[in-house]
Amino acid sequence: MANIFPRWTNWLPIKIVFCLLVLGGGVSSGVWYYFTPKYTRVGYQPTQPVPFSHKIHAGQLGMDCRYCHSFVETSAYSNIPTTQVCMNCHSQVQKDSPKLELVRESWKTGKPIEWVQIHKTPDYVYFNHSVHVNRGVSCVSCHGKVNEMEVVFHAESHSMSWCLDCHRNPADYVRPLSEVTNLDWVPPAGKTQREIGQEIVKKWHLNPPDKNCAGCHR
Amino acid sequence: MSKRIFQHPLESQTGKRYWRSLGQLKDTPEFRGWLQREFPQGASELDGGEVTRRNFLQLMGASVALAGLSLSACRRPLKSLVPFTKGVEWSVPGKALFFSSAMPSRGGALPLVVTTFDGRPTKIEGNPLHPVSKGATNVWAQSSVLDLYDPQRSQNYLFRGEKSNSAAFYQALEALVSGSKEGSSLAFLSDGVPSPTRERLRKDLLLKFPQAKWAVYDPNGSVSEVEAVSIAFGSGYRVVPRLDLADVVLTVDRDFLGVEGDLSAVRDFASRRTVEKSGDAKARMNRLYVVENRYTLTGGMSDHRLRLAAAKAAAFLKMLALEVSSLTGDASLGKMAAELKAPEAKIAPAWAKECAVDLFSRKGKSLVLVGQRQPVAVQVLGFAINAALGSVGKTLEVHKSESKASLGIMALAEHLRKGKTETLIILGGNPVFDAPGDARWLEAQASVQTVIHLSAEVNETSSKATWHVPAAHYLEQWGDSRAADGSYLVVQPMILPLYGGLSEIELLAKVLGTPGEALALVQKTFLEVSNLTGDATAAWATTLRNGFLENSASRQISVNFRSEESQNAVSSAPAILFSENQFELVFVADSKVDDGRFANNGWLQELPDPVTKLTWGNAALISPSTAQRQGVVTGDVLKLTLGGKSVEIPALELPGHADDSISVSVGYGRAEVGSVGQGVGIDVYPLIGTEGLRFSVGVTLAKTGKSIALAITQEHGALEGRGIDLTRQATAQEWAENSEENNPGYFKKMGIDAHAPTNFSLYSHPPLDDVHAWGMAVDLNTCIGCSACMVACQAENNIPIVGKEQVINGREMHWMRMDRYFASEGGDANEPEMVSQPMMCQQCENAPCETVCPVNATVHSEDGINVMAYNRCIGTRYCANNCPFKVRRFNFFDYNQRSITSLYRWNLISPKGMPESLQMQKNPNVTVRMRGVMEKCTFCVQRVQEAKIAAKVSARDKASESPPQVPADAFTSACAQVCPTGAITFGDLRNSKSKIAKLKESQRGYRLLEYLNTENRVWYLARIRNPNPKMPDASRAGSASRAHASAGKHNGGH
Repeated sequence: MANIFPRWTNWLPIKIVFCLLVLGGGVSSGVWYYFTPKYTRVGYQPTQPVPFSHKIHAGQLGMDCRYCHSFVETSAYSNIPTTQVCMNCHSQVQKDSPKLELVRESWKTGKPIEWVQIHKTPDYVYFNHSVHVNRGVSCVSCHGKVNEMEVVFHAESHSMSWCLDCHRNPADYVRPLSEVTNLDWVPPAGKTQREIGQEIVKKWHLNPPDKNCAGCHR
Repeated sequence: MSKRIFQHPLESQTGKRYWRSLGQLKDTPEFRGWLQREFPQGASELDGGEVTRRNFLQLMGASVALAGLSLSACRRPLKSLVPFTKGVEWSVPGKALFFSSAMPSRGGALPLVVTTFDGRPTKIEGNPLHPVSKGATNVWAQSSVLDLYDPQRSQNYLFRGEKSNSAAFYQALEALVSGSKEGSSLAFLSDGVPSPTRERLRKDLLLKFPQAKWAVYDPNGSVSEVEAVSIAFGSGYRVVPRLDLADVVLTVDRDFLGVEGDLSAVRDFASRRTVEKSGDAKARMNRLYVVENRYTLTGGMSDHRLRLAAAKAAAFLKMLALEVSSLTGDASLGKMAAELKAPEAKIAPAWAKECAVDLFSRKGKSLVLVGQRQPVAVQVLGFAINAALGSVGKTLEVHKSESKASLGIMALAEHLRKGKTETLIILGGNPVFDAPGDARWLEAQASVQTVIHLSAEVNETSSKATWHVPAAHYLEQWGDSRAADGSYLVVQPMILPLYGGLSEIELLAKVLGTPGEALALVQKTFLEVSNLTGDATAAWATTLRNGFLENSASRQISVNFRSEESQNAVSSAPAILFSENQFELVFVADSKVDDGRFANNGWLQELPDPVTKLTWGNAALISPSTAQRQGVVTGDVLKLTLGGKSVEIPALELPGHADDSISVSVGYGRAEVGSVGQGVGIDVYPLIGTEGLRFSVGVTLAKTGKSIALAITQEHGALEGRGIDLTRQATAQEWAENSEENNPGYFKKMGIDAHAPTNFSLYSHPPLDDVHAWGMAVDLNTCIGCSACMVACQAENNIPIVGKEQVINGREMHWMRMDRYFASEGGDANEPEMVSQPMMCQQCENAPCETVCPVNATVHSEDGINVMAYNRCIGTRYCANNCPFKVRRFNFFDYNQRSITSLYRWNLISPKGMPESLQMQKNPNVTVRMRGVMEKCTFCVQRVQEAKIAAKVSARDKASESPPQVPADAFTSACAQVCPTGAITFGDLRNSKSKIAKLKESQRGYRLLEYLNTENRVWYLARIRNPNPKMPDASRAGSASRAHASAGKHNGGH
């Protein structure tokens, strides 16, 4: 009986399997890289309705984060300042700057400014600002050096494993409360972050939920 | 070591048996289905809907194609953050604000504290400062927040059914009022809810329009009690029972723990049932005798219960009065009793005699309460017995009444029919639906040219009215009211009217022509009530903060019982007739929809009735023996005919119901109502004759041959294990004999736990080594079964409703349920005892659900909570199958995204979404779950986390010995917070100062199914009954151990 299948078909299954493996591997690594927050989120830098510069305010002028984000220490949310807060200064400083047109209009009409959200936690995550900033986690740990950003962008990945990096090893990240809003803080000479962190963890009995799902998911 | 058998032992067929339903008693296949499966056969499948397998595939194909289309437009959605332009005082984004307010309701408003998030009221709690509430509320207060956001609330002014506006209405109103000729053409109808400002405006109105008529109607009101009190003590008074002072209480046809009572009665009663040590049972526990026709919550708490048709209650009271008079030597009482024309009734004479002896033995500390349903003469006789027992002024206080005499609806209807009234203003209420038949209300209303109806919903009356005016919800208006203790409460708005509604007092002010913001109107009343002169700003601020005016509660006054008037009233009263082979029909206020006003509230509709466990509808309750005699089973549709009118209603066999008596609850079968209440239940108002008449003898009963499915949840979540395993009880006597000292583990070794060998575990889990260990205790001795906890849980945890059809399938989502057990010797279905048991996740330390989850979606936290990570759950439902307590709930459908009528349209292309107003109700701290996700009680983990965060935030950088700890009893779970009897306690087991740490050591404490070694974090405290040993039915009264002991002695393992 003649061969029904030509000879080259002997290699076909192996070739198919090989192609599928390569394809599968490619898709996996593609998803691995492109579908993770590190790629999808980091660097997101939308244009805001008002060209507000954190670099000028928080960096050059040295304003404390909490002047505008006033409830960060008491509430789960770090609030976006009201127009009133802008006008506290800008009713006297840069009164006629065209960049502030929208702010003045908002103040006049009472219509709020619609800022574009950059950092977004999913609905099933209950992040609380107050407990972090009151226990030695600096703004810079999650938001990057905002004091150097002309336009704010997403600096860290905010993925779950990124959260857990700190929840499992807080000593690598925490700092004294006085330095929480000092985004340029570096450990004083002669001490490493880990040493300072370990001291804080021991002294304050830091115990972030590292295994308790309900710490963030309710 | 013997082999460990995990088969649940068979229940012994002798001795005391516990059962939830007649199905369980007879061990029907349906019940076995509920017991052995997570859901009954077929309920896990997709039948009954519109989607067949074939069109499912079609729809899936379409959905995938659409998904492909939408992927190409995959962009990060732009979301805005919108701050205020100006900061709002006190408002911190993300933090709740709490305001005091009050919910106006029959018999006295409930003092509240309302939780608001960013200006949205989301949750209601009781006002802890006020003695009536002390932080507790009831099912209606809990669910009222849903009414506020009901998308089908009235949103427009309607003129003859057409959309109109406020300006047109005001214009029309002015014309009507100015032409009212001293008010002779004006009539008002209001509900009976107390409101000092309304009363003040009413006085002003009657000064301005002296000819105007003012009537008050509440279908579940207490006109007969008002009349009885005015006969017995004089008019202008009200009686206040002091259950906290009464050692022996007899109630005759009065459900004071349920629909016919208020929070303070419940709390006062429970205060005498709260026991710590065995000695307390004798020292403090009261004894409750109950005579009633149907099982009520009061009957469930009773120590002795006599089931008796409502019409025969008079016969019992007559017997009792004769006994009491012979004991006290009070001849006038004997004479009065002799003249009461009561029907014949077969009542064991010893029951009445021993009851009378017991009441008499605590003279001055005993109390007799007679139901408002009973004829005036019977109620007067009740007061006479109280007077003879010396309880008037002691356990039965007489207070001045704030409410003024008004016309009733019968008189108003008659007046209207004369045709002299041109304008009728109805302030709330729904008389077209709920007026008694003999009032011929429709006819009366039709003889008025202009009917103005102020109502929060477009109901039966609105559509027959000329003008419909949307009413503001109580959370949207300024107002005031009086609590059950008479204290002055301020109703404070939480939000501007969502739909531009008007409040009662604003409308009255418009009629009066006095301009006035509601706030100013209330403040004026406040000045009058508080007797303040000069600047009252500070006093007003304090009152607003506290929610009530200090020292404004009414006080008792010394009034003598008017023996002569009472004698006359009793002797001239018509005879109550009830002969053999007759049926009586008893109308009861519904435990959920009340008189029908809450018919569009899904939380209430889906809440199982505390006794019948019926959801989504009402039924004719009959006793099992009557049912058997008539050849009727639950679900059979009966035709009830009374006075030429008939109603077809399904029957429901209720154990413990009196024979020859049928009970129906009013308020169902609303014709014009939002989509939730549409077609739910049967309207029985047509059978009611006149106002205040709440039972009728001579109803005829016929079978129609039809049968409908009732959504009864009593067999849902049935547990393996015998009743005494789950609900343990003993009599006070037995507890004394087996006290802490004599027999320390008495309650722990009942039932199966007396047989089970010592537990050992092959399984280990990580240590639960947090500084906290959360736990809960449920005191079955004070739990009355009111189910307020279920609604509180629903409101707190964003639990959806599923609709009647899904409840029948056993898919209700309540995280906690109220199991109601009947218990009787040998399984007698006619004379059982009742025990309610709240059942929530037991938070097992060795949780069977966790070990079977393939994706680790349910795991344990170090503080001992069995947590759910919804975003991980893939919906295998293994956990629910492995849960011995059946407390896990699965989202079979997208209950939050689709209405209960379109659940089966769950594909990707049909429209979905939650109405915006309902979104506003949701608790922002709890995830709204989606389809395919398992959920369950989390011990209110959001509150736990908030408390922990607060502790950490306040610790800041303080050096400490241990991690920051939440102070003892700093917060509690939603169910514990709402409980009016304090039966539920939640707290930190590791904190020796917390209440729970002490309760868990109580001798009465036991855990469910201990032999499974699940190490539950929920303790139950056994029920103690306090029977009178001389009573003929004393042997029946609650003893779990007796039945067990009779089956043989068991100690420890086998």
